[in-house]
Amino acid sequence: MNSSHTITHRQLFFVIVQSQIGVGVLSLPYTLFAKAKTDGWISLLLAGLFIQVSILAIWKLCELYPKQTIFDFMPKIVGTKLGVVLNALFVVHLFSVCVVILILYNSIVSKWIFFQTPRLVVILILALTCVYCITCTAREIARFLMLVSPLLLVLFFFVAYAYSDVHLLYAFPVGAAGIKTILSGSTDALISLLGFDTALVFIAYTQGKSNSKLKAISYASLCVTLFYCFVTFTTYIFFNPVEIEIVPEPVLYMLKAFSFKILERTDLIFLSIWIVFVTTSLISYFFFTAKGVQKLLKLNHHKSAAPYVGIICALIASIPGSKLDVQLWSKLIGMSALCCSALFPIFLLLIAIIRKRKEKGAVST
Amino acid sequence: MRRVKLISLFSSLLLLTGCWDQTQLNETKLVRAAGFDYLKNGKIRNTASIPQSVNMDAGTGQVNNQIFYAVGNTTRQSRIKLDQKVSEKVDASKNLIVILGEKAARKDIYHILDVFYRDPKSALNARIAVAKGSASDVLSGRFEETETSIGIGTYLNESIRSAEDASIVPVENIQTICPVMFDPGQDFGIPYLVPEKNAVSVNGVAVFHGYRMVGTIHGAQGVLYTLLTGKQKNRSMSITKKISNKHKDKILNYVSIRVKKNKRTFNVNVSPDDKISAHIKLTMNVVITEYPRDNLTSKKKIKKIEQALSKSLTKDANNVLKKLQGMNSDAFGVGRKLIAFHNPTWKKLDWNKEYPNIDYTASIKVKVIGHGIIE
Repeated sequence: MNSSHTITHRQLFFVIVQSQIGVGVLSLPYTLFAKAKTDGWISLLLAGLFIQVSILAIWKLCELYPKQTIFDFMPKIVGTKLGVVLNALFVVHLFSVCVVILILYNSIVSKWIFFQTPRLVVILILALTCVYCITCTAREIARFLMLVSPLLLVLFFFVAYAYSDVHLLYAFPVGAAGIKTILSGSTDALISLLGFDTALVFIAYTQGKSNSKLKAISYASLCVTLFYCFVTFTTYIFFNPVEIEIVPEPVLYMLKAFSFKILERTDLIFLSIWIVFVTTSLISYFFFTAKGVQKLLKLNHHKSAAPYVGIICALIASIPGSKLDVQLWSKLIGMSALCCSALFPIFLLLIAIIRKRKEKGAVST
Repeated sequence: MRRVKLISLFSSLLLLTGCWDQTQLNETKLVRAAGFDYLKNGKIRNTASIPQSVNMDAGTGQVNNQIFYAVGNTTRQSRIKLDQKVSEKVDASKNLIVILGEKAARKDIYHILDVFYRDPKSALNARIAVAKGSASDVLSGRFEETETSIGIGTYLNESIRSAEDASIVPVENIQTICPVMFDPGQDFGIPYLVPEKNAVSVNGVAVFHGYRMVGTIHGAQGVLYTLLTGKQKNRSMSITKKISNKHKDKILNYVSIRVKKNKRTFNVNVSPDDKISAHIKLTMNVVITEYPRDNLTSKKKIKKIEQALSKSLTKDANNVLKKLQGMNSDAFGVGRKLIAFHNPTWKKLDWNKEYPNIDYTASIKVKVIGHGIIE
């Protein structure tokens, strides 16, 4: 690996933050509310805790196989043949994640601003931009993701502005939903927190001590969880519990009512900034996918895989048209993504540890 | 080669605007005020004010208020019919104010407002008000101020805004009433407009219960209503109060104050035998703006005025609460407090039946912190 391709652990932090914050932030409060009612924000905090387990697993895997991406060490853990099959499956999973990001992005954009513009155009514009972005090295990607991070503050302030008109009492009584429902709500929360799995490829490029890498990822996940929690809680005290059931994008809807002296439609500004975050999470997933394709097809550079990844994802993403189709796709892919991104690394780590033990045992006898 | 690249790059910028989602200003007519009334046959009449500026020679434009009507079974249908009557496309995304006729307000207002909440382009920050009589009368009236400079939408919007600044009415828009409308434990109030000969006066607060208007609170009581919401903490609101009967010269019995700061504490208690009591306590810092008897030198005198004011305002506030209970409108959210802090009690009750009978009181404490530039 070329030395100019590496990133620092500080950059790793921003990469993870940017991949985690994405499409989900707008509708997260709504999906959480469907199960855990006004205690949705607690589900989210719990989900943040669960994710830490997956993060530990991912980090440990990457520590066992330094400077290698998941596609490099998969064959080493499960054997060459099975490794290729699992790699292929993992690439399919990544494709599906990219597709679902594009689908959700399109459904929101076409619902809120571009009513007339054809689906494929909206999707292709984003996909091709991302393809262009991933034709460079990991370092340049990380720099770009770091560059746009200050925009997070803008999102934060917009949401914080809602506190000019909130009803704090709507959040009470806390814990009314019961522990069981809160727990079941955290599965939905987990899906929206996905994105930390891009660490499986980005850690390989990160320089520095192993501990600082873990710290970077954990802090990133903590920041994102807290940010999401803040957003969710704000919408829960802005909307009445009865009302939130009919508002699928509470964050945007909330901002629609605010106007400043020179800005009349805050939601449109928010939406344009949000698109940047969709782009960044798509960039890291595209990069991840392209790396997988490169490994599978034994290409010299992931650059040559990028356009195909982008165009295939865009074409598939423009298939579902109606709202119900979108819901179905995002639900199915959400669940499969949860298994592949959050559970699979833990599973893989267990196998790797058992293997290593056996090898050690074999050597000592 | 480099030049070709650059030129093609820059020319592609022109394509960035796209060509699907355009709304051109010269092809739209902007609705600035919309009114809704129920007709006798149950249909909805939509009144829209579309101001058109008429250019005069010196650049001073005069506004020509165009009013259009359309009748339909639903709000959206009436809007579509309106569109057929107007030469260009009607666009309500810059709407300033929605006026509901009193008859319409006394039915379910959500049925009318649904299109506003559903349409991604609608102006959710438009103000909303109830008009005495019908909304079309207010919108189509020829008022002195609208004749000269501004459209009716701007005129109504500004007059409500100044009423908000003076705390005659609470600050609300289409979106802010929505969560409260849905809330089983709280109700809301919006400005109540009365058309007069050559002006529209913001006369008080139209009080709602659930989705329906149930009554009004007029004049000075409106100020107390707004004070009791505890929301407008630092607005300047003026009240003139009679504090004694001693003087023959009637004007000397009065004092005018401006509230500088208003702090509310709101307690809801449930006794062991499930009796609900609620108490609102206001602590106001006021400035005396009119007191013709003068002589505000001694501390004793000021204390006396404070006491007299506190007493008479407390009485008024309790009257407002009585009135609200009589109308069964829980405008300050006693029910919400019960949901949040006494949830088991709340689940047992039928709030609509319980609310008029709870022990609901208010007390106001006035503190004079200034008296203008003379004593």
